[in-house]
Amino acid sequence: MAGFSSMDNFINAATTLNQRWRADWNKNFPPTTTGVQGQWDCLARGAGNPPADALFNTGTALVFQPVYDNTTNGTSIWHGGAVNPAYKSIINASAFTAAATVAPCVLVLVDILGFYRVTATTTTTAQATTNTQMAFATVTCGTTNILTTASTGTNYAINLFPYTRVQFTTTGTLPTGLSTSTDYFVIKLTDSTISVGSSYANAVAGTAVSITSGTGSGTHTLNTLLPRYTSGAGVQSFWWATNATPLGAGTPNCSHSNYTNSKQTSGQVTPTVLPVGKTACENGAIVYSGTAAGKYGPFMPLAAGDSGTAQINGIQISTTWTSGEFSVAMCVPLLTLPITTLGVASERDLINQIPSMPRVYDGAALYWLIYNGQNTPTNSAMVGHLDFAWN
Amino acid sequence: MAGFTKIKDYVDTSVLNGAERYYSWKKSPNQATTQGIWFDLSMSPGNPIPKYWFDATPLTAMNVAQSTDGGLMHGSNVTPSNKYLKELMAMCVTAAPLPMPMILCDYLLYYPTIDDSVSGAQTMINNNVLTRYTSGAGVQMIAISEATRTGGQSFTVNYTNSSGTTNRNTPNILETGLAVTGSLISSAQTSTYAAGPFLPLQAGDTGVRSVQSVTMNGPDVGLFAIVLVKPLAQFNIRGIDAPVEVDYLKDFPVIPQITDDAFLSFLCCPQGSLSGVLILGTIKTLFN
Repeated sequence: MAGFSSMDNFINAATTLNQRWRADWNKNFPPTTTGVQGQWDCLARGAGNPPADALFNTGTALVFQPVYDNTTNGTSIWHGGAVNPAYKSIINASAFTAAATVAPCVLVLVDILGFYRVTATTTTTAQATTNTQMAFATVTCGTTNILTTASTGTNYAINLFPYTRVQFTTTGTLPTGLSTSTDYFVIKLTDSTISVGSSYANAVAGTAVSITSGTGSGTHTLNTLLPRYTSGAGVQSFWWATNATPLGAGTPNCSHSNYTNSKQTSGQVTPTVLPVGKTACENGAIVYSGTAAGKYGPFMPLAAGDSGTAQINGIQISTTWTSGEFSVAMCVPLLTLPITTLGVASERDLINQIPSMPRVYDGAALYWLIYNGQNTPTNSAMVGHLDFAWN
Repeated sequence: MAGFTKIKDYVDTSVLNGAERYYSWKKSPNQATTQGIWFDLSMSPGNPIPKYWFDATPLTAMNVAQSTDGGLMHGSNVTPSNKYLKELMAMCVTAAPLPMPMILCDYLLYYPTIDDSVSGAQTMINNNVLTRYTSGAGVQMIAISEATRTGGQSFTVNYTNSSGTTNRNTPNILETGLAVTGSLISSAQTSTYAAGPFLPLQAGDTGVRSVQSVTMNGPDVGLFAIVLVKPLAQFNIRGIDAPVEVDYLKDFPVIPQITDDAFLSFLCCPQGSLSGVLILGTIKTLFN
């Protein structure tokens, strides 16, 4: 069985099998503008080890771009690579700053799954996004109603979440019962076998589509949008300025005019009161974060009852930012690490002290968000480490 | 089979088999360090005795090992068993440098005496290669000041990464102006190109196998060494009233492995001067 079922499992994996990785990181606060107390920033834009990203202001606007641990210029924190069929967890973490006026602050480690680049900041109508599903796994049908999945490209079949909306493509003929260009919803059986339901409700109920006639012909591919947390369960999003040139003047309301939640329901919208963007928002800053009226934490609020985002279908600002660009990141928060005092390292034992052992999926792209407890000087250095183990 | 398959193995090793070693250490740096600049304790007097990073031919790779260079005593080689860090205690009775995070590293290979005043690439001679963590996986670079310096210039390092890819380059790294031997010259609190204790690597790299050259972006005054290290464990001395005690199974469960002949020493980040400060502690290892 993958994962840790006991401390015996853990000590065996860590010592006998040497299934662990230590990542030492140091990241600087973004270089453009002093961070504002009460505001959130993403440290991906800051220099250090790993260096500043050169990813999140590239690519075609409004098209979802997945992010992996090895994405060129992504510069996420390396966690030891793919380990499937094992499960990887974070077991310890630390962070420290010797820079005056950084502490107190709070760091949040996130796995960024992908992003939408937004370059039209004077368009005040809803901007439709492009969400093209990508080849996620190849599938074969050896047993009635059951599909066996195998990793393909940079995606890992083990990462497929229950109830994910998927479509199939094929180089030949799909097994009878399945069709191309049709939504199906995953009924996860094991890490390498699934059935599919014809609707989200059927998948939750375990009612599988009948696949009646063998394997079909050719190679069959299961396609998803997200590379990890594929159903959107627990997936959050944040808007952040991603260009060395700050956004222009303007304080627009920020909203997702249409998103699909983790129950695969589209047409969801950001609830009122809408987050208010920051005028001249600087590189790295989460545009609506802060403490004033209309300001929020790092993540875009979800509609009542929603607990995750499967995809964003429309992005809207109510008034213009006169120039610049921003990015909408889809992410999952993994770990919170408060730095309370200048010079005092924050240390977290995630097995005994705060038992959580956050899982890190193969391909995860890890970045830090920071909540500024003070006005954080540009290039403020933060140092720390992450211990990972897998079994 | 080397290692521990279950907690009972671990306990038996310690309690019944006697495969446990306990050593003390003491370091007495006499440098007037400043707040927030990382410092290497290897060259400081005490027990173990200092290891100087300028004691070999300039720019020529030299291996570091317990058997030849000392470092924190952790016991003799144990192959075919594996050795692990079980516990660590550290204390400091002077308030000036505290609170102070520290990182225990295995020092692997060093390139002595890189001259800040030389313009153009200074090419390293790699007659020696890593003998521990031989691929370079997880191996980091630290740049240690060997002499007083002016600081303020930046430099880059050309290296081979842990995948064996050559011609990799760090970004520009700013030299701190702290004129103290033993300080990590990359260390700065808030400045463009500021870095922590470890030199930033090229995007996508996670470890270093060897260094090919160092290029100063402008002339400076000073000398430094680049040392390849494998970080193993970290802890934090918070105040003069309480030693820090870490059990690496129970407190921060990672049980770092200490390879045969490892040279162990500490990096620290004081909040004030380390001059005349006594830092001491113990280390407990066990092997199975």
